[in-house]
Amino acid sequence: MPVSALRAVSKSQNGVGAFILQCKRMEFNFCDWAGSSKGMRHDRSFLKHSLSQFARQNPQIEIIVAPRPNKIPIIRGTYINGREKVIPVDGLEIQQILQKAQLLRNSSGTKLKRITRPVISLNESVRGIFSPFHGKKHVI
Amino acid sequence: MKRLRCAALLWDQLLPIRHSGTRPFLPHHIGRTPHFAATTTIATTTNPRPLSTSAGNRDSATAPASASAEPPDPEPPQATPPPPPPPPQTEPTTLPPCRSPTTSAKLAALHARLSLHPKFPVQTLARALIHPSADPNPLFNNRPLASLGSALINYYATEWLLCTYPRLPTEVLRAALSAYVGEKALAAMGREWGVESAFEPKADVDAGLLQFKRLPPGPEMEASGYKPWQERGERWVQGVAEEEAIASLVTSTFAGVYLHEGLGPVKQFFRQHVLSRRLDVDKLFDFVQPTRELSSLCSREGFEPPVARHIGETGKRSIAPVFIVGVYSGLEKIGEGHGGSKDEARIRAATNALKGWYLYSPAPQVDLPSKTDDDPRASFRPAVIDAGEVIV
Repeated sequence: MPVSALRAVSKSQNGVGAFILQCKRMEFNFCDWAGSSKGMRHDRSFLKHSLSQFARQNPQIEIIVAPRPNKIPIIRGTYINGREKVIPVDGLEIQQILQKAQLLRNSSGTKLKRITRPVISLNESVRGIFSPFHGKKHVI
Repeated sequence: MKRLRCAALLWDQLLPIRHSGTRPFLPHHIGRTPHFAATTTIATTTNPRPLSTSAGNRDSATAPASASAEPPDPEPPQATPPPPPPPPQTEPTTLPPCRSPTTSAKLAALHARLSLHPKFPVQTLARALIHPSADPNPLFNNRPLASLGSALINYYATEWLLCTYPRLPTEVLRAALSAYVGEKALAAMGREWGVESAFEPKADVDAGLLQFKRLPPGPEMEASGYKPWQERGERWVQGVAEEEAIASLVTSTFAGVYLHEGLGPVKQFFRQHVLSRRLDVDKLFDFVQPTRELSSLCSREGFEPPVARHIGETGKRSIAPVFIVGVYSGLEKIGEGHGGSKDEARIRAATNALKGWYLYSPAPQVDLPSKTDDDPRASFRPAVIDAGEVIV
């Protein structure tokens, strides 16, 4: 009988060929009245001072700036896997807000998980799993 | 080559806006608005659809809104006077800046995420995001781009698979092709590019959103199977699945890279986005009677008939025995398998032997036939062409 085939879909290996930055959108929200938004909105502040450079360095991220009255300032990052990450930046200064923005930019949207193994790979082990039938036989 | 000639003929049709970088993109379903009229002086040849169509769109958009206002108050229709007729509709005066490809943040972000060269204009990428179900005019939708791009992708994927695995059986080759560049694979790729879809293809939709007409909710449609493209065009009237729209975007992007940047860049784009994906071709095989097939293969190739021999075992009388069986052609072992029974081990050994034959791959540096597209005078070493799969 001729060989038939099973259907499958290839898996992406981001970075092996092209690299797609996982953070696709960042929204900066602040309040015009509250004091915790000072780092974001005042003169010599993040939005006026550092945001344009951050946006220029990361053209792949769609950046939205919007007031969100009577709420603390936040940065909301949306990722390609559909998840969102929100970081409150109330009371922070420019450099600290920039750090949080970089953190969101460097993240993939997956949930934080504890990694116990040193190597995670799609490839099988190079030397194979032990078999008593192969290799040098033990002589009793 | 036929493919390149076809591309040359389609050049003018595919890129009507190629010549003027300042000409803004005008989809058919918006009229001549003051917003656009102030910035441009183009003739209306780019907008062949009459204004009544855009009025029809707006009427359909406002009709459900007025209908939903009516039912909550059915009781006193006689007491209150009938609601005044809606004011005469005027053309939309302004569109949000995200509607234009040059000022859409989403579109620019998508362009940068794919690391597209500046030679690839955002206007083409915006066009690639419009499925024919959203706009039937082939000058403004991605149908011509998608057909060119799909020809390119399928060609490059096929030649790579044939050169890397010359002995792959036809069915497995088709499965591997579908795994790399089939509709599901392209849809997965498009999603990984971060493409978002518009809820409905309207005039004020962001230029960076994928526009297509959605399938109405209801019982699942029958599988279309293979249909000639004319019939498929009629199917778009009711809407398409999102996967199909995303796949058309991906192929259109490939076409855009080819048209704006050239052959070398599109091959590199293919290698980076498609070939970098991971597929275990050995897991695609589905054998039926592998021992019979192996026997036919050996007789065809002139090898000695395969014989299964018991190599080793453990736990024969226990609940979990392991038998190792090897398939030998003469003195040479061509395959080995393990199993809980000798039969299972023999079958596995036969499949491994067949996979060893079918998955033969020549040395890594194999010349692909498309190498001569760039430079017809380049040295070319033809790839291995196999006799074909075994007829059992």
